[in-house]
Amino acid sequence: MKYQYLLFASLAYALLAATSASGDKEFLDHLISPGYEPETTRDELGMWMELQDFERKLNQSAMLVRDSDINDYILEIVCRTAGEYCEDFRVYIIRNPNFNASMTATGMMQIWTGLIVRASSTDEIAAVVGHEIAHYTRLHSLQRMRAINKRMTAGSIFDIALLLATGVNPSLGQMTALMSVLSFNRNQETEADILGLQLMADAGYDPHASYSVWEHIMEEEAAAAVKRDKPGIFARTHPASVKRSKYLNDLIFTSYGPPASEAVTDEKLLTILNKHYLFLMEDQLDTNRFGRTEELLKRHHAMGVQPGLVYYFYGEMYRQRGEEGDLDLAIESYHHSIKTGNAPAESYKNLGYLFLKIGETTAAKREFKTYLELEPNGSDRAMIEFYLEE
Amino acid sequence: MPYLQQLKLVFRFILVTELLLLLSSCVTPVSVQQIGQLISSIDKKPTIVLMPPDIRYYLLTASGMPEPHAEWTEAAQSNFQKALLDYADVIGADVHIIDRTNNSEAGVIYDTLHSAVGMTLLQHHFGAMNLPSKAGKFDWSLGPGVSEIGRMYGADYALFVYYRDYQASGGRIAFAMLAAVAGVSVGVGTETGFASLVDLNTGDIVWFNVVNAGQGELRDYSNAAAAVKNLFHNMPTAAQ
Repeated sequence: MKYQYLLFASLAYALLAATSASGDKEFLDHLISPGYEPETTRDELGMWMELQDFERKLNQSAMLVRDSDINDYILEIVCRTAGEYCEDFRVYIIRNPNFNASMTATGMMQIWTGLIVRASSTDEIAAVVGHEIAHYTRLHSLQRMRAINKRMTAGSIFDIALLLATGVNPSLGQMTALMSVLSFNRNQETEADILGLQLMADAGYDPHASYSVWEHIMEEEAAAAVKRDKPGIFARTHPASVKRSKYLNDLIFTSYGPPASEAVTDEKLLTILNKHYLFLMEDQLDTNRFGRTEELLKRHHAMGVQPGLVYYFYGEMYRQRGEEGDLDLAIESYHHSIKTGNAPAESYKNLGYLFLKIGETTAAKREFKTYLELEPNGSDRAMIEFYLEE
Repeated sequence: MPYLQQLKLVFRFILVTELLLLLSSCVTPVSVQQIGQLISSIDKKPTIVLMPPDIRYYLLTASGMPEPHAEWTEAAQSNFQKALLDYADVIGADVHIIDRTNNSEAGVIYDTLHSAVGMTLLQHHFGAMNLPSKAGKFDWSLGPGVSEIGRMYGADYALFVYYRDYQASGGRIAFAMLAAVAGVSVGVGTETGFASLVDLNTGDIVWFNVVNAGQGELRDYSNAAAAVKNLFHNMPTAAQ
């Protein structure tokens, strides 16, 4: 691990030295031109065919978020960061509460909704987008496929030769090949971090967001009620958050200087969050990771997401967690939400259910009535009316 | 993620290979015919819609990693479609081909479902792992929802095809020979495939057959025509 950091540091310093001499900020170059088409090599054509087939299926997926405002918002970030490569990408927003984004060799980009609820600014989304675009323009998928193939072949031949020579087969060659592939992957991630940073900074986004996004992931991890035994999907194939945050931090301070002192309200991101908060946070809540959810709620409150919505989800979190004292906390949170004058109708309904639970029927009926006034066509109307008649 | 996808590909390959081993060890014929002849509800020549055939060719590289092969796959898909159109007269039905770039949402969903159902019945109806509660009954279905496809194309039946072909590269064969010297056996390619005819009124699979070993070469037209004839020889036909 230490070795990798040293490797990175020496690479970064070499590049910095080169750029300070030439006076511009180019750390890494793109390997392909905009509008790239696969070469006539067999393996690349095969990979494109599989990916295009996958994309046709993805286009029909029920997991796609099709709301035009979310798609437009992300697409604008992608285009601005990608610059002249903009036309190369198709962006798919996937309804999944985990933190992830991916890119294929064909320019099919997936952004999970878990990334949107975790971003504290548009710049942080741009940081992740820049990283993914860098994977594309440096042909990482193709190179990785070739590296795996080459190394596994060499490893297998080594194993057979060893078996012939010694009569034992400890699979040393294949294991070595696997380790070497993993290190190859991590080097690609470091490359994507550096070029991604350059892309988002050139597009006018705040480069400091590219480490703050990782700091936030670490904060969330620290707030988790149940720590992961294993790192999440993204972390398994990417450099550890701590290290990543550290080296990006170093690189950015050296090349772009310290961050702006005053925080600016991110109106565009807030508009998206406010409008779609219910489905975005319901998905997050459904993961039953209450510590993480609470951390996100804290962040959203500080960012300026409508307090009526944030308090409602505090109520939901306490109600679903159901630990000692949570019932009172939930009732208090729904009340907070209602006091803002901007509560979702569900605040009244779920408050009504809690009152029902503790035997305060009159209060429960009052809340249910308000819910029906706000949501006269709710699918659970018959159920609520049944409680009102009791 | 592409790395995970590649791993998944390897696992899928292992699964398919094992399925084939399971199949080759049993003696029951891997085909079923539930109806005597094709009938059109609209009182004319029955219409069969061919879903975009899920045909894939891979090159097994020296290390055993399957590498998708675009040229072979595209040739095989179009040869299969053409061969089936030419065979339509024998079946006595109109065959309507759906272009894969123009498949509907329902088409994509039922294609995926068919692969899963087909794999399951290979394993649990024809394979070694019979489901006791089924008592040997063949009542597999894609469900009545598939009638949406029937309405879309004015068709009575849908034909779903699944085929995977792993061809060993020169490097793989050389490696297998080297390994054989060391007393290790490594795979040098397999082929596996099946087709289902689905009644678009009920969703039931009314005919099912597998591609026999060595009879799935689709990369040139004459072999594809032979493969189609072999695969569909026992499919019910329309009253002539």
